[in-house]
Amino acid sequence: MKLLFHRISRALLISALFVITTTITVHAQDPRIRLAALDHLATKASETVDVNIDERLIQLAAKLFNDKDVDEAKIKKLVNGLKGIYVKSFEFDDENAYSTADVDSIRSQLREPAWSRLVNVTSKREGIVEVYIALNGPDVLGLAVLSAEPKELTIVNIVGPVDLEKLAKLQGNLNIPDLGIEPTKTKTKNEQ
Amino acid sequence: MKRSATGKLVTALLAATIWSTISFAKGDDFNSVVKMIEDFYNVKHEGLPFLAKAGMKAVGIGAKIKGGDAKRFAEAGSIKLATFENQEFKGDFMRFRQVLNDSLTQTWMPLVQTLTAPDHEQCYIFVRENGDKFRVLVVTIEPHDATVVQATVSPKNLALLMKDPEEGAKAITQEATIIDQE
Repeated sequence: MKLLFHRISRALLISALFVITTTITVHAQDPRIRLAALDHLATKASETVDVNIDERLIQLAAKLFNDKDVDEAKIKKLVNGLKGIYVKSFEFDDENAYSTADVDSIRSQLREPAWSRLVNVTSKREGIVEVYIALNGPDVLGLAVLSAEPKELTIVNIVGPVDLEKLAKLQGNLNIPDLGIEPTKTKTKNEQ
Repeated sequence: MKRSATGKLVTALLAATIWSTISFAKGDDFNSVVKMIEDFYNVKHEGLPFLAKAGMKAVGIGAKIKGGDAKRFAEAGSIKLATFENQEFKGDFMRFRQVLNDSLTQTWMPLVQTLTAPDHEQCYIFVRENGDKFRVLVVTIEPHDATVVQATVSPKNLALLMKDPEEGAKAITQEATIIDQE
């Protein structure tokens, strides 16, 4: 009886460890950026925009956009297969309204192994524009854009198979701000 | 014994919280949102939410929306509107956003939310499926006025709304307000 109890306990422990490990692995590969740490900036910002288009809405959009309408057909093609589009954008009246710590709260997530910073990204905008891609082997899991200008902070997070070309075309649609990104030849930091 | 009593209390509180959340989510969210605004800002809406009848007899009649003709978004007879006029909307808008999202996100999908700090202007757009159509809930709060609009839209109009949510929300709110005045 005691032996049976020990075996059950061990089996339960192993199962629990498996569940925890799986959860951690999945979380580590989750290309969704946690943006809640920036919420406090809304009280300082002159304008805050929060866009949440999750997989259900994207699937709907993919079904609903009209193939006969040139614009809609273009967006439909772009969003097809995506699992989420999340945008948080703050506009401030004054400079230095957000801190390095605010930017680092996003950058720290982008330092996780799945993420690589893309180089050769040019933007017509002033300030910093960093574009990151999350990969799982050859598969693209998502893309993140961090745009930090003196009076504006924008984070765009697209979950699913996406590339710079797609991002550039999505700008200005579905409330994704125009980041001034022009796609050029891309290279990940691992390829340098 | 003491631990057991505490445990029961915690369980009861949890059950009550879950029950109230489920009740809120399952009930009429439009009325709940109106009530929430009233309680949070200590204001009163004008007139009961109603189904707009006049002017909504036919779908597709161009409504005169600021700047000219525009497509009619809402399905006939589907608009519920509550307006708050000439009242003070003072309060922690971040807290309001939190309360609103906590209450609605179980049943509604938040699409776009905008906050404009100097005037504490807020706009929230939520969407949910409703059979083969969709329900859109638009909450707009300005320093002295607010509107809550719920409307049913066709898949085609949802696509238009998703293409440009902010303009779409403005159009729905203006459409409801114009119909209210007809």
